[in-house]
Amino acid sequence: MVDVNILVGVIAVFCAGLALLMLFAKEALTCALSLLGILLGTAALYGIMGEHFIATIQLVVYAGAIMVLFIFSIMLLNVRQTGDDIKLTSLRFALGALAGIALLGAGGWVLFDFVPTGSGPWGQDAVIAAGGNTRVLAHALFSRHYIAFEAVSLALIVALVGAVTLAKRKLN
Amino acid sequence: MTALAMPQLLALFLFIVGMLIVLIRRNTIVMLLGIELMLNAANLSIISFSNQMGMIDGQVQVFFVITIAAAESAVGLSILVNLYRNFGSVRTDRARTLQG
Repeated sequence: MVDVNILVGVIAVFCAGLALLMLFAKEALTCALSLLGILLGTAALYGIMGEHFIATIQLVVYAGAIMVLFIFSIMLLNVRQTGDDIKLTSLRFALGALAGIALLGAGGWVLFDFVPTGSGPWGQDAVIAAGGNTRVLAHALFSRHYIAFEAVSLALIVALVGAVTLAKRKLN
Repeated sequence: MTALAMPQLLALFLFIVGMLIVLIRRNTIVMLLGIELMLNAANLSIISFSNQMGMIDGQVQVFFVITIAAAESAVGLSILVNLYRNFGSVRTDRARTLQG
């Protein structure tokens, strides 16, 4: 049996490496496939934490549907080489890297001795006793958050119609 | 450092890399991918906190974020198709007709 912390560390290093590859890769397809790897790694983290439904959603919607959409548009627009997209010596790279390092330092400093306080009702044992993660999540979704759920479904329809209208429009 | 720290640090790192992709890269497809990466990092952070604190609301939140991300990428990619039709390229430095 592998120690869970080691497994989480391996997945974290995998995801971080793919993120850096995404930042520096020239081909758009390489970036898309790196993001796919990151999404799979994140889904594995969700699974390790016990959030099985969200892990499945991540696999089906994110790594499935959204990534297919992205790769389809890369194929459709036939974006081959993006040229000298990222120059290590340019001013924008220097400023961006500086901002990134500053944010990383600030965030790491906050996280270093952060201990979450307050324990809610849904600990590991409570979720198992209530019939598993999916049942608990569905109960929360369709009781307390049902108005938000309906609003999101409306937003999805609007976005669908908007996307079709935008993509079909002939501009001259 | 607690057990919480590893997913949170990963989320922080992924968010910053996504932000750098949006700031630095000029290819709009890659910029959209960077936005997705940032959303994913925020999801990871919310899920990790919610898991650590024994709450279910974080997962509901992430469920909504994933749904809206799907809608956002569909609209974004159709805008991108229009951009490509009008300018013949997906690079942001080609689309500068407002610059005069």
